[in-house]
Amino acid sequence: MITLTHFLVVGACLFSIGLYAVLARRNAILVLVGIELMINAAIVNLVAFSRYDKAFYGGQVFALFAIVLAAAAVAVALAIILNVYKFYKSVNPEDIRNLKD
Amino acid sequence: MTELLPNISNKLDHVLAGLPMLLPELVLTATFLTGIGAGLFADRYWRHASFAVTTVGIVLAGVCSAWQLALPAVDNLLFGMATMDAFGRYARLLTAAVCLLFVLFAKANPGFNAHRKKTSDLYSILLAVHIGLNLMGVATNWLMVFVAIEMASIGSYLMVGYLAKEARQTEAAMKYVLFGSVCSAVMLYGLSFMYGFTGDLNFTSAAHIQGLEGTAPLLVATALLFVFTGIGFKLSFVPFHFWTPDVYQGASTPVTAFLSTAPKIAGIALLARIGYAWPADSNAFQYLHTLILVSAIVTMLLGNLAALRQTNVKRMMAYSSIGHTGFLMMAVLAYSSGEFAILLFYLAVYALMNMGVFMLADYIEARTGAVDVDEYRGLGKVLPAAFVSFVILLISLTGLPPTAGFVAKLLVFSAVFNNWQLTGNAGMLLLLIVGALTTVISLFYYFKVPLHAFLRQPEQERKTLPAHPIVVGLALLMAAAVLLLGIFPSWLMA
Repeated sequence: MITLTHFLVVGACLFSIGLYAVLARRNAILVLVGIELMINAAIVNLVAFSRYDKAFYGGQVFALFAIVLAAAAVAVALAIILNVYKFYKSVNPEDIRNLKD
Repeated sequence: MTELLPNISNKLDHVLAGLPMLLPELVLTATFLTGIGAGLFADRYWRHASFAVTTVGIVLAGVCSAWQLALPAVDNLLFGMATMDAFGRYARLLTAAVCLLFVLFAKANPGFNAHRKKTSDLYSILLAVHIGLNLMGVATNWLMVFVAIEMASIGSYLMVGYLAKEARQTEAAMKYVLFGSVCSAVMLYGLSFMYGFTGDLNFTSAAHIQGLEGTAPLLVATALLFVFTGIGFKLSFVPFHFWTPDVYQGASTPVTAFLSTAPKIAGIALLARIGYAWPADSNAFQYLHTLILVSAIVTMLLGNLAALRQTNVKRMMAYSSIGHTGFLMMAVLAYSSGEFAILLFYLAVYALMNMGVFMLADYIEARTGAVDVDEYRGLGKVLPAAFVSFVILLISLTGLPPTAGFVAKLLVFSAVFNNWQLTGNAGMLLLLIVGALTTVISLFYYFKVPLHAFLRQPEQERKTLPAHPIVVGLALLMAAAVLLLGIFPSWLMA
């Protein structure tokens, strides 16, 4: 029997893996992958909780919106990273540090 | 789903009845579509076509918002997605004013004019961001909050990366988009828990308040902290401010001016709405207010102290705007539902001052190439009008009389003081002390500008280049407005 807890644990694992990928900062693309994992963790949670919201299915609608917005944000981020690559010939956030205190 | 079918005409009626309240957003949507068409087809024949369409659209949306100010407040708009009260309407009007200033500013900016694609796409992005910001100020549903924040954020990423003609600009855009996406992902995770605790996405509803009361306080605190991350990114308060100096310095100046004003107006409106949605004795309310209090104090201190050692003017202004965010959060804490006049006055004055300062920084850069405070040596005699209005705006940012900045700060301080006397809350007293202290600190970095411009001698004669006079004209108007509002604050505070 798969219960709500199972979904929440999967979500928490996904979120932690995503957060690790973001904080490790090896490569801008990997950071984006990490962000995507974090968003998916939230989507798993939303859909799992939505099972108990029979009246409006608010969580499922929210999940759909979140998927669309995540796709839009990733498209924009990839275009920007492509521009960065043109100037720096690298997408490693550690190499890209002209702007600092 | 089957039980919804008999009601479907009622539901459609509800949606249709709510649409007139969203008239400004509908006007902006129409302008967005027209603007894209104008950029594609009409700009070839008349190069100001998309500019004209955008300006007319924003003015029209502003007029609609102003016209709706007199209407009674509407709760439960579109099934509890938004609530249309006077506060949201004023925030909308203010956003429209800032967007209009941005359009004029971008039109005169040499960087955008030299760009291969000109500014028509920038205007379309701006309109989409404007819609997002409008919705942010009136949202009462977590879904609407998330969609509005993402709409404003994605557009802002594009605005920062629009030119991409130097390495710095692409770097700023990349830092912005990565930091912003992480913050919104964390926020989404927090929202999923808020939904799980309560089973309701409308944060003003009774079910939501009840659900939060019935959940373990530690869980509510964690979820709220996650949600706070997303709002913190839009408002750039500590500890979510890391992107601000880099992005403000790297982005082209009109975009920086926009980012430092418009999202703050909408973000503060959203923060105030969430902050007062729950009853004052609930755990969630107490926790959120402690969170705002602590970040307000740290934000004021860190913003102003870090600004002291900056040399680049835009970077200095970035830290200054972080400091002002702390001040705005203090105003949110002192605000009690219904008395939003002080908050709005501060926001309006702040938007005027920051827009003006960035316009002047851009004008001075275009005329002389100076971007650091040290390079302003002796320029006061070369560009007297620009520097006199610069100094007036900086005096107002510090909060000295007889400017509007003084009145705004005085109003916030007296509201906080009253709150302290009423409640005896020690946090309020601490806010008051930190606010006064950081006002003194800010004097030291703001006054570097007149010090260099008027009192130091230039090392060599500077050549000046021609630049569009509309920017300095607008900045002069804003400096005059700041002075007049300082003497007659009742013009805005009716």
